[in-house]
Amino acid sequence: MNAFKLWYHKLGSPPYFYLFAGYIRPWLWGIALLLAAVGLYGGLVLAPPDYQQGDAFRIIFVHVPAAWMSLFIYGVMAVSAFIAVIWRPKMAEVLAMESAPIGAAFTLIALITGSLWGKPTWGTYWTWDARLTSELVLLFIYLGVIGLYHAFEDPRQGARAASFLAMVGAVNLPIVHYSVVWWNTLHQGTTVRYFGPSSIAPSMLWPLLVMTIAAKFYYGASLMGRSRVALLSLERGKDWVRAEVAGAPAGG
Amino acid sequence: MSASALPRAFLAMLRRDVVLAWRRRGDALLPVLYAVIVTTLFPFALGPEHALLARISGGVVLVTVLLAMLLSLDAVFRGDLEDGALEHMLLAPQPLALLMAARMLAYWLVTALPLVLVAPLLAYMLGLDAVAQPVLLLALLLASALLDLLGIVLTALTVGTRRSGMLLSLMLLPLAVPVVIFAAGAVGAAQQGLPWIAPLAWLAAALALALVLAPLACATALRIALDS
Amino acid sequence: MGRFLAMGGYAAYVWPAYAVFFLVLGADVLATALRRRRVLRELAGRMARQAARRQPDVSP
Repeated sequence: MNAFKLWYHKLGSPPYFYLFAGYIRPWLWGIALLLAAVGLYGGLVLAPPDYQQGDAFRIIFVHVPAAWMSLFIYGVMAVSAFIAVIWRPKMAEVLAMESAPIGAAFTLIALITGSLWGKPTWGTYWTWDARLTSELVLLFIYLGVIGLYHAFEDPRQGARAASFLAMVGAVNLPIVHYSVVWWNTLHQGTTVRYFGPSSIAPSMLWPLLVMTIAAKFYYGASLMGRSRVALLSLERGKDWVRAEVAGAPAGG
Repeated sequence: MSASALPRAFLAMLRRDVVLAWRRRGDALLPVLYAVIVTTLFPFALGPEHALLARISGGVVLVTVLLAMLLSLDAVFRGDLEDGALEHMLLAPQPLALLMAARMLAYWLVTALPLVLVAPLLAYMLGLDAVAQPVLLLALLLASALLDLLGIVLTALTVGTRRSGMLLSLMLLPLAVPVVIFAAGAVGAAQQGLPWIAPLAWLAAALALALVLAPLACATALRIALDS
Repeated sequence: MGRFLAMGGYAAYVWPAYAVFFLVLGADVLATALRRRRVLRELAGRMARQAARRQPDVSP
């Protein structure tokens, strides 16, 4: 337990985190690619066509992992943002701010694949369905956090302000979701049902879960890569960065 | 500090803001003018058909008021930032949250109240039923106060940045979504003769919560944005 | 193979969805790589300038 605590506190120090992230990043990448290959094979080749939607349902294997990740990453970002605002450790700020673009990317993927799925199943690319609308609002929240972060000249100050906004968004997100659901039942006629995950066949479920785990590992890998670059930029002038720059080829 | 010091500071701040706004009362009328222009454009875009205009009137007026409030939001702290008054507020012995509460009330009185007062006229021009008018007024009172509180918290966050206008709209939109849904939902229900009290009760509950939390959040946001 | 690519008539929806998934994540990876290159180049230039300033009278 003591060794774990020591390791955990060491992770808060930028040079140690930089080394650690550089060490685990290739592993995360490898696992993500391997799982994605298995999941894609299972989803695109092994799983039989759905009896109602034919092969169109195969979009589920990218849409649902992306939608889950968009919320999962928001959760991670909100927790880091909370820590960043209260105790102000540099690493929490970096993790929160570097999570935001990845979360926005997954939200964008969920929106586009969702509308591509909507066309063959509902007959339209866009409908003001409760989930799609919430996802769109989530994208705006992500964009607001990213925009606020970049609006400040001092990145650390920007990170704290954007972290505060991320916390406000975390409180707001469930409110948006429930209000949108209420709004949707109020205006009957546009309600569209997703196919419930309870009725999903095991041959479709396992590739879905594998793809979800692959997306989580991808998030880890991307976050490590992004945090390393952010640390180099934030810690410029420190000795460990000089050593790193002197060691690394300037081009790569 | 005596017990009367806090209310005195609150009133002094409120009085200062209202007097400053009164000296430049032409500026306070600009959002109202903007709302009038936007609502006038709708019949030209959609045609003068009474049934259609009456159906959308509540939503149009609500969204117009929201946009008009947004228009002047990024100026809430600009003057104080430029002349250094904001630093004085941060250093003042009175709690910053109290001063922010006064600022929020002043901004609501100066910007939102004229809009709320002109809104029934705009809704009437678009053909909103007389039964729905009081509901619209009530919904606007609650929604404008809520947006005022939330908007000023976000404005405080952007104080230290350049070019905050567009960013502020982007940041406020997710917070405005539930407010617009419940306010417009109440007006829509009243237009159809359905019970409309529940969404307004939700808005009122949110307002009660925001009245307590928003000044505190605003003070925190201001300290973060000015890094002190 | 042709039947696999046709996706039961839904190829126009399934393949773009997968393309979007990989293109957007690819853009995320590419953006990070480009940023790393830019940051490293900036830092290297900064260090070179500082080193030059520290010993200005080596070659008078």
